[in-house]
Order: sequence, then structure tokens, then C-alpha cells
Amino acid sequence: MIAAQAAIPMTVVGGFLGAGKTTFLNRLISEAEGRYAVLVNDFGAINVDANLIAHHDGTTIALTNGCVCCSVGGGFIEALGGLLDAGGKFDHIIVEASGVGDPWRIAEIALVEPMLRLNATIVLVDAARIEMLLADPQVGATVRSQFERCDVVLLNKIDLIDRLSLERARDVVEQVCSNACVIETSQASMPNLASLHQRPARSPFYAQPCAVDSADHEITFRRWSYQRDGQFDRSRLALALAALPPELLRLKGACRLAGEANSALLQMAGRAWSLTDAGSEESSGIALVGIGTTSLPDRLELDDILDHALA
Amino acid sequence: MRVDTVFAARKIITMNPSRPSATHVAVHEGRVVAVGSYEEICADAGAIEVDRRFADKILLPGFVEGHSHIMEGIVWTMPYVGAGDRRSPEGLLVQGIRDVEGIIERLREAADKLSDPDTPLFAWGFDPLHIGGQQLTRWHLDQVSTTRPIMVIHASFHISNVNTLILDRAGLLGPIDISGVVVDEDGRPTGELQGIAARFRVFRMLGGNPLSANLTTDDVNRYAASACIQGVTTITDLHSDLPDNTVDLYRAAAERDDFPIRLVPALASASHSPDDGIAKIERLKQENRPKLHFGIVKLVIDGSIQGFTARVRWPGYHNGASNGLWYVAPEELPRIVERYHRAGIQLHIHTNGDEATELALDAIEAAQTAMPRPDHRHTLQHCQMADAALFRRMRALGVCVNLFANHVYYWGDSHYEQTMGPERAHRLNATGTAQRIGVPYAIHSDAPVTPLGPLFTAWCAVNRVSSGGRVLGRETEALTVAQALAGVTIGAAYTLKLDHVVGSIEVGKFADFAVLEEDPFEVVPEGLKDIPVWGTVVGGHVHKAPGE
Repeated sequence: MIAAQAAIPMTVVGGFLGAGKTTFLNRLISEAEGRYAVLVNDFGAINVDANLIAHHDGTTIALTNGCVCCSVGGGFIEALGGLLDAGGKFDHIIVEASGVGDPWRIAEIALVEPMLRLNATIVLVDAARIEMLLADPQVGATVRSQFERCDVVLLNKIDLIDRLSLERARDVVEQVCSNACVIETSQASMPNLASLHQRPARSPFYAQPCAVDSADHEITFRRWSYQRDGQFDRSRLALALAALPPELLRLKGACRLAGEANSALLQMAGRAWSLTDAGSEESSGIALVGIGTTSLPDRLELDDILDHALA
Repeated sequence: MRVDTVFAARKIITMNPSRPSATHVAVHEGRVVAVGSYEEICADAGAIEVDRRFADKILLPGFVEGHSHIMEGIVWTMPYVGAGDRRSPEGLLVQGIRDVEGIIERLREAADKLSDPDTPLFAWGFDPLHIGGQQLTRWHLDQVSTTRPIMVIHASFHISNVNTLILDRAGLLGPIDISGVVVDEDGRPTGELQGIAARFRVFRMLGGNPLSANLTTDDVNRYAASACIQGVTTITDLHSDLPDNTVDLYRAAAERDDFPIRLVPALASASHSPDDGIAKIERLKQENRPKLHFGIVKLVIDGSIQGFTARVRWPGYHNGASNGLWYVAPEELPRIVERYHRAGIQLHIHTNGDEATELALDAIEAAQTAMPRPDHRHTLQHCQMADAALFRRMRALGVCVNLFANHVYYWGDSHYEQTMGPERAHRLNATGTAQRIGVPYAIHSDAPVTPLGPLFTAWCAVNRVSSGGRVLGRETEALTVAQALAGVTIGAAYTLKLDHVVGSIEVGKFADFAVLEEDPFEVVPEGLKDIPVWGTVVGGHVHKAPGE
């Protein structure tokens, strides 16, 4: 698990044009806990406090709090690659998805790149407009795909609508992504990453063992841990993962694979999953932690599914 | 009259309606100073020696390629494995390959030439639609090598096929569920990769993407050589972030007498906010010189039809595929268009599907209403699915169009069978409609997506036949030879706002000529694409095309 622990957490921030991504990103930057690297589509809207700017070279703004903000103008792949080449300079990478992009497609990078691990996909939704946008023949499908597979929905701009409209907005959002954690926000009450971490009772996405031990967490979400001394067979593991129930939201941890020297990092979010080389021969066996909704089946039933994958 | 050179030709086709043909053209300081007969010119010029090297050849205005990319100069560092024949920048005919076995064979030959056993082998130009749907899998590529990384990049540049070694090293080999990592019915990755996650991982593992490395002088020279081989003297690079390195290379090249093209780069809107883009264009325009023309901005609204990423109107794709992708938010587009429009900048707007075309016209209409601007010449690029009603709006709004004539040949069958169905496939790239309604138009190759070659592009617009032999809308949409030649000369120059300096052979314009071995008006229309190109003249300098 050495390589896996060294991997940099990545958070993807998505949402349609006008949902409030920039305000949220500004908040994340100004209240950073650690050295964040933030990849944005363009600087124009990012409103970094001039007092915070240590250096600005056109494509990168270095801040006095240790964070940097990079424009992806010259190509997203190159920009993100550059951050990884910078080594352990950053504690967290935050990527802004384009207003018409699918943030999940970017999140998947963190599932296949060993230097990254997926922290969360956070999508902002304009509560006043979401129902209209989802019904729009031109952009409905684009908007829907943006938060179909996210961890957290920030249902934003709630101060601009009445209670009834808010309930309707919440309904349509939950119809699209029944498994995400929906948090109501407004421009004045945006969370930062630290405050999202402190709300485990409402946030299912921190699947690390340390983050899910609190008792009240189990009220809203059920945790499942799976430990075996053996190793998985790759092909059977694929079948087993496909057989896991949809109530399981995240599954993550280290495992050994038959015939392979190194330990592997398994990450599963929704129905998507990946196995990356954890780069270490030291760890033994299988140790996975899962998180699910309250209707997650009994642990023995889940254990049985994965036991079928043992080599 | 002062004259540096007088060229004599078998025939000079000027594309200038007031003097359509001539036999002699006089050049002074790189520009045309007289066009006419020997008597007409030499009466004024006095006793001047006539350059007779083109005495048995045909001169046309140097061709203008209104939509192509510098990538054409980069891809030739890699072996080509596409289905159609192409010309390399060295002028060699590179045979197309129409089966997977042939591709394996060509890759083996290329691998044998690499001395280091670990150097990755990249190839380009593959499209399963051009070889009857045959797929190229990692098991095929493993027949080339199991120890050297191998990647074949599709003609679309969005998809690639890799061998097992690459998948293994990238950790994408095991059973996996990541979008873009294509698996067969048994759940095994086939080696086909799409989308950003797989691209990111694989290119990191391979140490970089050869197609997105910093541009070099060699790349620019190869692009120029490819143009010269096809008689092209003015050429776009129609989507560039224009980083300093690229601008420096373009400026240095444009200063060389032996550089045989006038370059027209378009700044990519996607990588700049409108304010930054406008400021950058103003800066770049200070660099303009006879062979370098900054000033236009490219805006991409949707994807491609054959990739099912174009935005199409009701009833959607013929085979029922879901609608495509927006690359710009529909509600953001009017704001971007209006900003550039107000700044006096000409936009080149990529719209493949008709829903995207409609959206672009809505945005231009709003901008024109907010601030009427004469002669803006905003140009729709590709615009493949527009119907007559959309063309009528283009005319009303003063919009130009650059139609993708080569698509009729390369993907006409796919459009007929899968993407658009028979009726819409017949009016694909409706050059005849543009002509009738009076929308200023050009035709283009989008090289390297399809081969650079204005005579081939003209052939496509005249004959409207697919690679499978299907004739599509010839009765109503085909151009005459004269119209098609205008589409690759004066028509294309007009869409670039360069028709006052290139696009026809007439007094005052740059002395830019395409030198052909045969007269396009004398060959049968089916033979248009086979007319040999001797080379070009650019600003009076003669450039013989490299080749066999």
C-alpha cells in the first residue's frame, strides 16, 4: 500500500455553465488546508485575492498559501501531467471540468493513474434552473450526464428560490443520481474541502477506513470491510465486482492477485472500477473497505460474492 | 512598366472573370504586374527574356486550402496505415492499405527500421469504416511485436489501438470497467482506447504524445512541402493555441524565400477567453507579413458526424444513435460570438451537424442585430448537414461556408447507411445549394483527416461519388469544374479575407501559381484528381514539387 498511500488525492469539480463552479473553486483555494493544485479552464473568472498572489506567469498563478492555480489552455493532459511531474509538491489536485464536459470522464483518470487516487467528484447544480435544463432538448442530456455518476451534488443558489421550488429541484436531482450526497448551498454558504470532510454523516465518498469509523456515519451509510489472507483471480474478480449490489457506493483497498508479484490498488465507484499496481511487494492478502446505502445487503452476502473471486 | 520575370505558359487560367485566360504573366517584386499575351506584355516591358520553363504547362492561381492543420506536417514522422493512397511530404506515393494483414506487414517493416528495441512505434491514419469495418485488435498488433510498445492512431485522432504490452504496462489489461477502454464480449480489453482517462495513462507511460510535442521547423517544412506537392500556395492552420514557440517558428519560416506557402493560422477560441483571444489577435497581427496572416479565430461547436458526436436536429442519427456533444455551451456561444464580432474579428465556426449550424447562425444573427457589421464574413466550417433553409439564412446574414467536399468520398457510404440515411446523405456538403442560393463558399480537405489536395477536393465536388462507388446528390449538388476550381482558389481566398491578394492571377496580387501538367477544363471530370502537379510559384519564386 506504499504507492497507494503516496498517491495524490484528486477531486473533480463539475457542473453546467452558471452553476457556481468558479465561486466554489475560489472558496476552495482561499480556504485551502494544504497545498492544492487547481486546474481551471480559464483564469478570467477565478478571482484570487491579489494579496494572495505570489507569482503569475500567464499559465500558472502561485499563491502565498502554497497553492497553485493552473490554466489548462495549453491542453488538459499536458497540464495535469505537469503537476504529476512536479512530484510530491501538492497535497491535493482539484480539476475543474468544462461547463459542457462530463466530470466523471476526468475522474476516471484518477482510477487508472497510479500517482493519483480519486477523492470525489463534486458537481454543482443551479437549483433555480436544473429542472428546466434537464428538460431542455439541446442540453438536457449533457446536464444529466454531468451528475449521473458523482459523489456529491452541491445544490446551489437555494437562497434565490422558495421552499417548494427547492424541493422540486432536490427531487429531480435525486431522480438522476439516487446515490449521491446532496448538499444545499448558496453563494454565501459554500463548503470547502475540509468542511465536506467534517460532514461524514451526509457524505459517503470518503471511503478511507479512517474517515468512516464515526458512529453516526452508520446511521446514513453502511460500511463493509472485507479481509482475506489469500489472493484474487483477475477474471473472477471482474465477475464478482459486477455482481455486487448497486447499494454499494464505493469499494477500495489493497489486494493480491494470483500470479502477480506486486500488490494492487482496487478502486470502485458506482459500477466503474480499476486495478492499479500498488508497487509494493510487502503487503499481503486482501483488505477492502466498502461504503453503501442503508439498504446495503448483509455483510455475509457481500463476503460471499467476493469469496467467489478468490484464486 | 518594370518587370523582373515574364512566365510563358501553354495556358494561364486566371480565375479573373475579366481576363479568364492568358499565355503570359509578368512579375515584379513578387506580385503580378501584367497578364495577357506575349504582345500585350512585351509591348510595355520592352525586350525582356521570357522564362519558358512552363511553356508546355498550365498555370492556375496557387490553390488556397481554407481548412487544414499543421498536424499534416507532424504525422509523417510516423508510418501511415490508412486505406487511401497519400503523398508524403517527400512527394512519394504511399499506398493505402485495405486489410488488417497489410497493416501488420507495414508496421513490421517500420519496426524493423527502429534500432532501439524499446522505442515505441506509432502509426496513423487507420479507420475501420474504410476497410469494411475490420477491427484492429491488440492481438493483431502483438503479431508485430510483444516487446515493443505499438500504437495505431485512427484517422479521427480520437481513437487508438495498442498492443498488449502497452495495456499491460499501463495497468489497463486486467478485466476493467473504465469508459473508453473497449472490451470484447468476454470482457477482455481489445486494445482500442478512446477518451481522456486511457489517453492520459498511456501517454504518460509512453513518455508523451508524439502529436502534441512542441512544433519544430521540420514539421513546418513538411507542411509546406506537402502543400507545394499539391499546388497549394496559401494554407490555413485552422486550430492552434498559437503558443510563442509556434509563432516564432511561423515568423521565421515566413521570412525565408524558399518557404513556399502563405500561412493563415486560426487562434483556437477554446483555449482563450474572448478578452484574451482579442488581445492576442491584436498582438499577433503586428507579426503579419506577406507569408504570414494572423487575424482569424476558430470556434468549435460540436464533434464529427461519423463519430456520432456532431449535434444533429430531429430526427437525429439515422441508426438511432444518441445525439452528439456540445463543445461550447449553447447559451455561452452567443456571448463569445458577439465579443469577437464587436472586436471586428472574423470567426471560423466548426459546425458538423445541422443543430450546431443552426445554433451558430442564431448567434451570428444576434450579434449582427446587436451590432450590424458590414462584411464580417464569419465562415461556417464543414457545415455538412445544412439544408436549403439554413443556406438561405447564411445568405441573409452575410455568412460564408467552407464545405467538406472530401467527406462525400471518404464517409459518404457511412452517412448513407448509418449516420444520416439516404435523403440527408444526398445533400451532404451541399455545394450546389450554396451556389444556387448565393452563399460564398469554399471546399476543403481538413488535412490530415483526409488527404491534402485541392484537385482531389474539386474532383469530389464535381463527381460526388463515395469510395464505395455510390453517387450522392450529383444532379443537384455537384459543381461544374469552373465552380469547383473557384472553391479552391478565389472562393477559399474570400473566406479568409485574402481575396484581394491571392486566389486569382491578376495585376496587383501576389504572383502565386499552381503549375499543372494538364488543363483541368480539357480532362474528363473523372480525371481531375489525376492531373500531375509540377509545383508552384510563390511571390515569383519557383518551387518544383519534391518527388519521384
